[in-house]
Amino acid sequence: MGRVKIVTDSTADIPKDLVKKYDITVVPLKVAIGNETFQDGVNLTTEAFYQKIESSEELPSTSQPTPYEFETVYRRIAENEADEVTILSIHLSSQLSGTMQSATLAAEEVKDAVHVDVVDSKRASYAIGIIVVEIAKLAQDGADVKACKERLNTLLEETKVYFLVNTLEYLQKNGRIGKASALFGTLLKVKPVLSLSEDGQVYPYFKARGRKKALAAIREAVNEQYGSKPVHIGICHANALESGEELLEKTTSSLQVESTTITEIGAVIGSHVGPESVAVTVMPAK
Amino acid sequence: MSEAVEGKKLASMFEQGAAILAKNVKTVDALNVFPVPDGDTGTNMNLTIQSGIKEVQSAADNHAGKVAKSFSKGLLMGARGNSGVILSQLFRGFAKAVEKKETLSVRDLEQALEEGVTTAYKAVMKPVEGTILTVAKDAAENDQSEHSSAAAWMSSVVKKAEASLEKTPELLPVLKEVGVVDSGGQGLVYIYHGMLEVLEGNISKEKAQSQPAPSLDDLVKVEHHQNAQSHISTEDIEFGYCTEVMVSFDEDKLKQHHFDETTFRNELAKFGDSLLVVSDEDLVKIHIHAEYPGDVLTTSQKYGSLVHVKIDNMREQHRALQQEEQTSASHEEQTSASHEEQHEAPAPNDEAQYGFVTVSMGEGIKALFKGLGANEVIAGGQTMNPSTEDIMNAIKKVNAEHIFVLPNNGNIVMAAEQAADVSDKHVEVIPTKSVPEGLSAMIAFHDQAGFEENKQAMQAARQEVKTGQVTYAVRDTSIDGMDIAKGDYMGIWDKDIVASGKNVEEVTTQLLENMVDETTEIVTLIRGENGQTSTDNVIVNYVEKNFEDVEVEVHEGGQPLYSYIIAVE
Repeated sequence: MGRVKIVTDSTADIPKDLVKKYDITVVPLKVAIGNETFQDGVNLTTEAFYQKIESSEELPSTSQPTPYEFETVYRRIAENEADEVTILSIHLSSQLSGTMQSATLAAEEVKDAVHVDVVDSKRASYAIGIIVVEIAKLAQDGADVKACKERLNTLLEETKVYFLVNTLEYLQKNGRIGKASALFGTLLKVKPVLSLSEDGQVYPYFKARGRKKALAAIREAVNEQYGSKPVHIGICHANALESGEELLEKTTSSLQVESTTITEIGAVIGSHVGPESVAVTVMPAK
Repeated sequence: MSEAVEGKKLASMFEQGAAILAKNVKTVDALNVFPVPDGDTGTNMNLTIQSGIKEVQSAADNHAGKVAKSFSKGLLMGARGNSGVILSQLFRGFAKAVEKKETLSVRDLEQALEEGVTTAYKAVMKPVEGTILTVAKDAAENDQSEHSSAAAWMSSVVKKAEASLEKTPELLPVLKEVGVVDSGGQGLVYIYHGMLEVLEGNISKEKAQSQPAPSLDDLVKVEHHQNAQSHISTEDIEFGYCTEVMVSFDEDKLKQHHFDETTFRNELAKFGDSLLVVSDEDLVKIHIHAEYPGDVLTTSQKYGSLVHVKIDNMREQHRALQQEEQTSASHEEQTSASHEEQHEAPAPNDEAQYGFVTVSMGEGIKALFKGLGANEVIAGGQTMNPSTEDIMNAIKKVNAEHIFVLPNNGNIVMAAEQAADVSDKHVEVIPTKSVPEGLSAMIAFHDQAGFEENKQAMQAARQEVKTGQVTYAVRDTSIDGMDIAKGDYMGIWDKDIVASGKNVEEVTTQLLENMVDETTEIVTLIRGENGQTSTDNVIVNYVEKNFEDVEVEVHEGGQPLYSYIIAVE
């Protein structure tokens, strides 16, 4: 079996220093704004992205990596390792993107060279990233694939994410709204708390008008779920650090927080949720 | 021993009670404490009792118990507004007590009245003294005296009711402040008066008419209102022509186009709806509502010759019908026999998990509710309280496992609860008392959540929004320490008048000054049918200037009478 190597995609929104520290390979998705196409997080910084979409009339569109791109990455990892490796490739919810599809095809292509276990995280943004980082740590410490996968499955079950989007326009236009679609008839400006369902679709966890009520609802949900258990917190924000900090303070202050990571929502997820969106992810620490 | 009251006499008592109330509808309306343009206690009670009388008359029984039962059933179905609902409960108890009695002795009547009071008190969750309930209770109080006749007994009932009515201002401070007696209680006194007249054989000159003058206006309004509900607007008719065609099969044509009824039906189905096809060896008859009748004719002609063609423009019919309804109150039968009605088969569709019935006035508000997923929006509210039956009819139209009813008006809550009780579906009333409460409750609904969870979330949400309303005074008054002249604007926060004046902008901003506090995030203005966008701007500017971090949203509600309905949350 040998060592475990971790691959994910750019929608995991993992801060660059953590990518490096835990030896995570990130495959970029692509973002098209107007006539230009960029590789998420490679030749387009999040800062540049949010500037661009502000000045562009059109909404950005995104596309998954090709199977070939995954294949290249998988082969390179296998070749660079002297010993036998297993790749755990953890990705954006298959309900939201074809990334899983590409990775799965690629894994099939390379199966003679390397074993790739492709996992649908059924999540998005740092709700993937926080778990990927945890598994990468385990792998670095020498855990085998069985141990990694066990931990992965537990974390996938027990990690919750809540998004506060500034407008539903982006989700709607990109068709990523899933079960939240019922909201669109409304003429009233409703800012729901969105979450991801067990099958990886976006759904409105809580609907109300007004941010205070939304924050209170998230706080209540995480308190009920995690109580006094130690947790890791991930805050991600689409060009809205202050808002992210407010989210952290207002929703998690009574939890037993072991660590907090604040990260930016990259161009791809940013294209789907829109600027000024924020999300909080809570993952059990033990 | 006095003569017992027979069924016919009891029916006359009810009729005369209704007649006296009908004669005094406007008086009762005028007693409504709040000088808002919806002082309609009298109207509501009158419509309620008329529904009872209708039922009594159509049953035409001489069995007293059965007469009372018919009356009670009619009241129950027709109940409008809180006073109407309480009235229906009073007679529900009454009917229950005399159910098996062919004639009624004084003792029977006494007990029936008492039973009515018990039933009504049970039906009201928080009975308020100084209202129709108190008057009914005091009137039914057994004074242990022997009455020589039913007339003598009823006379003492009326006296007790009047005495109780006089005391209502002592029990309900708001009545005292305004200087009136309770409107519902007054309505009941009128009814008892009418009943007494029959027992005394002293029927007042304006004898019971089946359609008392003051109520005709209201019945027109109600009929109009109901018709507006059951009929879509002219513009909404998708397929404009009722097309009937009879085709005689032609051998030669059949060789080219084999006739198969199912295939033919499918061919026609794309042209419209309400499709009916009947065929035998020689003929096929077709009925369809289509937008392009020519297509139907061309398709039919492939199989033979057209022997009969009839095409009606349904939009024109509908328009004419609507006009008739507006000018006449007695067109009910005609309406139900109208073309559309005959063909309006209820569409069988899959049962949804949740459905919503709500009540509001104004196309804009209706659109807001529809946008949030309301299945049925009953036109009603401030100016016209829908009856239990109206609400039941709306409930019937909703095909869902759980149905939430949002009455959006304090005076419709009881009728909604009564409808929920009578309905065999699973109906839950979320007692929303205003449009903002209704909207908040619907926003809190979550289609993935369970019934109980939703119920609680909606209940909680309705309590988290403050409701403001801006309307005008219908008469001079002094209330809540404020002198208000007829025609003045009033700013009402929940139940209290907190601002008044000649200028709508000033009153609205004053109202908002009271309502907005540091927890406020969003102010939603719902503009009435006569509102101006220039007024909106003044108010929006005021909020933006005076309250940092408060968002303002303006919607066109189209509601009558209320310049603004405001949600502060």
